[in-house]
Amino acid sequence: MERGIAESRQGDWLVLSVSGEVDLSWSQTLRTAVLKALPGTPALAVRLDQVAYIDSSGIAALVEGFQQARSRNQPFVLLAPSPSVRAVLELARLDRVFQIREQLD
Amino acid sequence: MSAPALLRYRFAARAEALATMRHTLQDALRARAIHETEIARLVLAVDEASSNIIRHAYRDCTPGEIELTVTRARGSLRFRLRDFAPPVDSRCVRPRNLDECRPGGLGINLIDDIMDLWRLRALRRRCGNVLVMFKRLKARSGRGKRDR
Repeated sequence: MERGIAESRQGDWLVLSVSGEVDLSWSQTLRTAVLKALPGTPALAVRLDQVAYIDSSGIAALVEGFQQARSRNQPFVLLAPSPSVRAVLELARLDRVFQIREQLD
Repeated sequence: MSAPALLRYRFAARAEALATMRHTLQDALRARAIHETEIARLVLAVDEASSNIIRHAYRDCTPGEIELTVTRARGSLRFRLRDFAPPVDSRCVRPRNLDECRPGGLGINLIDDIMDLWRLRALRRRCGNVLVMFKRLKARSGRGKRDR
């Protein structure tokens, strides 16, 4: 599966759809995309259903985005995390921290 | 006599080399009919350990290599990661409090949770460090524990 981040709009939400394996070699790209997207949208969703693998550096990029959004009172959700992403979120006990939704509607 | 290795794999201590390492390890574990969920967790733990070596052990020197050896003995899998970096103070390698929501520092927690036991030591006479992690394949206990 190719790595990539695609942007789309759904109402007020900017959706970043992430695909591929997110590890140390690519997590900085995800971090930059999330932090760059936040100022330009009322709300941000990161779609993770096409993420085949994520490590702690990828999770850290999402945590940083979540914290930035929270400091701006901006909605930030993780959309439809794949089973592998959900497993890591649970291991890190972050499934209780992030707002996780299957869809935006 | 030590158990024969399920996998011996040497790779560059570079982030770009991690994906191939993960897939190689995944294939080796699949060949041993280990459950897919368990494989995913074990691969994550080895990847986190390798990432820490790349980010921290090799931080102040030219990145060298990492040797991964996987063996199976007495119902456990043993994962040995050997690097050629300057010695790491193992007392500084600890899990952090997960109640703090902050980016970074999760790798040790994941390893600690996935593995039953792990220990890190610096090689005294030779350059490098050795991290050994154990996972029982049956009669699993709940949380991982560092060998202190």
